[in-house]
Amino acid sequence: MTKTSKIAVTLVLAGALVAAALLARHWVGGAPAGRAAGPSRGGELVATNRSEPTSFNRYTAVRSTDELISRLTQARLVRIDRTTDALEPRLAERWTVSDDHLTYTLFLRQGVQFSDGVPFTSADVVFSFQAAYDPSSQMAGELDVAGQPLQVTAPDDHTVVLTFPSVYAPGLRMLDGLPILPRHKLVAALREGRLGEMWGLATPPAELAGLGPFVLAEYTPGQRLVFTRNPHYWRRDAAGTPLPYLNRLVLAIVPDQNAEVLRLEAGQSDLMTSETRPEDIASFRDAAAAGRLQLVDVGVSRDTNLLWINLRPDAKLSPARRAWLQSEDFRKAISYAVDRQQFVNTVYLGAAVPIYGPVTPSFGGWYVPGLPTYPYDPARARALLAGLGLADRNGDGVLEDRRGDPVRFSILTQQGVDTRERAAAVIQNQLRKVGVAVDVVSLDQLALIQRFGTGDYEAMYFGVETTDIDPASNVAFWLSSGAFHFWNPGQPKPATDWEARIDELMRRQVTTIDLAERQQLFAEVQRIFAQHVPALYFAAPEVYVAMSPRVANATPVPARPQVLWNADVLAVKEGGAR
Amino acid sequence: MTRALGRLVVVLVVVAAAAAPWLAPHGSSDQFADYLNAPPMRLHLLDTGGRWHRPFVHPLRLVDRLESRYVEDDSRRVPVRWFAGGHLWSTDAPDAPLLLLGADRLGRDVFSRLLFGARASVGVALAGTLGALLIGVLVGGLAGYAGGLADELAMQAADFVLILPAVYVVLALRATMPLVLEPARIFVLIATILALVGWPMAARGVRAIIAAERRRDYAAAARSLGAGHLRVLVRHLLPAARGFLAVQATLLVPSFILAEATLSFVGLGFVEPTPSWGTMLYEAARNVRDLGAFPWLLSPAAAIVLVALAVQLATAGDTGSGLLWRAGPGRARNLQID
Repeated sequence: MTKTSKIAVTLVLAGALVAAALLARHWVGGAPAGRAAGPSRGGELVATNRSEPTSFNRYTAVRSTDELISRLTQARLVRIDRTTDALEPRLAERWTVSDDHLTYTLFLRQGVQFSDGVPFTSADVVFSFQAAYDPSSQMAGELDVAGQPLQVTAPDDHTVVLTFPSVYAPGLRMLDGLPILPRHKLVAALREGRLGEMWGLATPPAELAGLGPFVLAEYTPGQRLVFTRNPHYWRRDAAGTPLPYLNRLVLAIVPDQNAEVLRLEAGQSDLMTSETRPEDIASFRDAAAAGRLQLVDVGVSRDTNLLWINLRPDAKLSPARRAWLQSEDFRKAISYAVDRQQFVNTVYLGAAVPIYGPVTPSFGGWYVPGLPTYPYDPARARALLAGLGLADRNGDGVLEDRRGDPVRFSILTQQGVDTRERAAAVIQNQLRKVGVAVDVVSLDQLALIQRFGTGDYEAMYFGVETTDIDPASNVAFWLSSGAFHFWNPGQPKPATDWEARIDELMRRQVTTIDLAERQQLFAEVQRIFAQHVPALYFAAPEVYVAMSPRVANATPVPARPQVLWNADVLAVKEGGAR
Repeated sequence: MTRALGRLVVVLVVVAAAAAPWLAPHGSSDQFADYLNAPPMRLHLLDTGGRWHRPFVHPLRLVDRLESRYVEDDSRRVPVRWFAGGHLWSTDAPDAPLLLLGADRLGRDVFSRLLFGARASVGVALAGTLGALLIGVLVGGLAGYAGGLADELAMQAADFVLILPAVYVVLALRATMPLVLEPARIFVLIATILALVGWPMAARGVRAIIAAERRRDYAAAARSLGAGHLRVLVRHLLPAARGFLAVQATLLVPSFILAEATLSFVGLGFVEPTPSWGTMLYEAARNVRDLGAFPWLLSPAAAIVLVALAVQLATAGDTGSGLLWRAGPGRARNLQID
């Protein structure tokens, strides 16, 4: 190995968990104990981000940039370590659980101060829960258990008692999503019902206060967010050096991904907050070999794209179309008709793995190999379509239903997201070969979400971000009443027997403590899902993270934000001046 | 001479567009998964041993999928088939498609798409230009000839259209229409939009020319000989605007080809997999690096330049001299004829 290629650390590992285990050996506890001298303090890193924040109030703003800002400037009681998926203490130093698994007692770290110097106490935690359950907040859904809120009390300044309405297997994992707010800054607004208006983008940064490693120093709309070290941040590394290592972190807003890549390659930025595009991997690989970049293969993504057909009963479809479009055999025929290897090669240039369901191999113990699949077999696809009464009656190469109407439907996808538009084009091409005509319509994200809300579409190809691999954290997807039960969300009661069965299994899964039993229950859920294919999955990309050689101490993970999830220990390499 | 050349190229392009299904070796949306961004194939006559053959190609072998790097496999010769399967030329081997201008990011033949795209792009641009010039001549001619209030109103209307933020108007229009439109309807829609957006420039120029010409002696002579207004306008005055209209056409055709791309981008134009030069260019420009690495993706740009040049040459004046010179109002040969 040459000296230059040493800088280019390219970890090619079978799965994220293997990577996690290796990295975790050095990193558990949050401090880079493996290094004798430890990284030096100081310096600045520049990350590019594609979108603007919508608010500095994470409780009302739910987009990924808002979440990223919250991760940089605010802290949680506990955090999910993205490399091991284990829960790790943050503001809560330790905790105990009652025998009935309903009451958690959290002991808070002492001597912690907000960035404005005000001490952090249990009152801030109680306040944060009140704010989260406030009608103006978007958090409530994430903090409910079976539709009920948690009860939060504070027996003293450094103890918090959480009482769950029913047994909830993931337990405190939900707190990873709850940034703790400064009560002294916001309590008046909460009382007056103005919490939703607080901390908008026009708020002077000095008015914000948090417990995170950085404070917002400057926001120039359309250009950048500048974060500086929080002088009161409570974490230290193993050598006792106060964190974060960085003096400054700049989040440059670069909406165009081409520009983002050029900046990174020109050395004007150090990392991107989104994953590398497949077509950039090759040139990044060359740059890494020449020592100009670090490129890390962090494993298979957990964020997958899916194709689903609108199965809502109120979908605007004629009865004749509904009969085939909403049928299970039609979805299976699509699955048989799409050559997933070709899909991987065309959409991701080979840097992906074929999948058949939402749980990819990077979901650790939750992944079940050997589920029923419907792999590429155009003959079986044609047979299934024929079974639905669809045949090419006029010899034009496109099937017709019994009334003579062509078998044609539209797939909506997100404009400007290359892998999605390309995927839709591949699906379109492959379905054409079995006589199904597809119209691909690219819409911007808002229009797409709006149509999803009103149910005014036939099929969609879109993606989800998975923040936690524990299926109990993703019930909104699995339960028939869930908002992210894409094909037919928010059902008052399950529309099909198998959805009722999944509901039942998921409810048991959520309230069961024993992990092996939970995994068994979830395997059954996945089996039912695979049998009825309510949504079609084709490929999970391999995630590559590119960084400048200056970035030290990074442990990139497949989930967003791949590098900045661990921002407090990021450092600039010695001699890494720009 | 140059005018004949220009006309020849225009005719060739129109014929190529019309005969696209026969001239193109492949369908416009056929994807060859192992040929993503493949480079153009060279037609060979000589094999590696130095023997002569009928035209053939060597299949490409994928070396690195991430880089889209290929090498010619010169151990195999795939002869070009002529007049087979409804195509002028093609190959027999399904794993060795004939890619004369390389392939795009979905592994589709750029040459075939260029031909099919000419139907959409050139067709829509020509139809739109014709429409814009017709409206422009009508409005500009009447305004210039009548003068006064009619002139005032017509030019105000032209100015109003010029300052409209066209893309937003079009977007608002699009929102009122169904999500999925037939390609034929899209064609009519785009041509109409282009005509409605493009006429004011033509109208203003025509008006200026007519307004100046109608005061000249030959116009007065025609009127005093008893010619009616319509005859004076159409037979005597409008020919003076011919040079100007020719210039307008050469400016409008390429800009309409690009406008079609813009419309397609905002969701009103042709959609995948229907190719047009504009959508092909938009696809190519998605990743700037691709433009350098796969320059054949830019062939629609070359085609646009070629068509623009040909239209310019074909519409050049009888003397074949420069167009801008002709564009000046009042410089018309009617002076000598009449």
